[in-house]
Amino acid sequence: MWLLHFVPDNLLHYVINAFLFSGIGLYILGLLSNFIRFMTPYKEMIRIISTLLIIVSIYFYGRYTTDQEWRAKVEAAQAQVAAAEAKAQQVNTQVETKIVTQTQVIHDKQIVIQHEIQAVEKQIDSECKLDPVVVKIVNDAAQNPNEVKK
Amino acid sequence: MKKLLLISLLLLTGCQAVPVVEKFPDVPKELLVSCPDLSKVESNTAKLSDVLEVVSTNYSKYYECKVKIDNWIEWYNSQQKIFNSIK
Repeated sequence: MWLLHFVPDNLLHYVINAFLFSGIGLYILGLLSNFIRFMTPYKEMIRIISTLLIIVSIYFYGRYTTDQEWRAKVEAAQAQVAAAEAKAQQVNTQVETKIVTQTQVIHDKQIVIQHEIQAVEKQIDSECKLDPVVVKIVNDAAQNPNEVKK
Repeated sequence: MKKLLLISLLLLTGCQAVPVVEKFPDVPKELLVSCPDLSKVESNTAKLSDVLEVVSTNYSKYYECKVKIDNWIEWYNSQQKIFNSIK
């Protein structure tokens, strides 16, 4: 059956219809053969062939339409996935832009703070004597507790 | 008989995989960098300004990390919404 995928859809549809209508035509011919003398000996053969043609072509017609429905569903799903991927990419761009902007704001603020500290550095250092334990406590607080455990 | 076998093989439908595969979305590279460790004050310093500088740097590091986490959450929620919209 998979070989039928190589046959163009229009051609396949045409062939199936041709088989179906040939079968119907032959069946009618079979019915009329009672009245056409030279065809009477072939009456049974015509009926068998036409019935077979009708059955086979109806089967293939069913398969063809089901196949077309599935193909349409797959195409719809592919379109949805493509749209989702485009949206996902859009979200990525938005998030990237947001991170860069927000990080830049933090950097800028940090520079301002550093300048403020430098501006009052002498004032702070002259009026305050730092106990070494302060450094120890600040560094202990900055230490990642999970790294200490290791 | 051999021909019949060959024909029956050709007629096999077989199991065809449905050609619809959704690619896992890429994460922005900024989000894949882990947060840095906090800076420490030099142990021999006696200046409060040095401590202040380190503390303010650490605040900045915290906010940079917060930006990453917040954006991770936003990225995840947005991608989940997109994924769930596919029926």
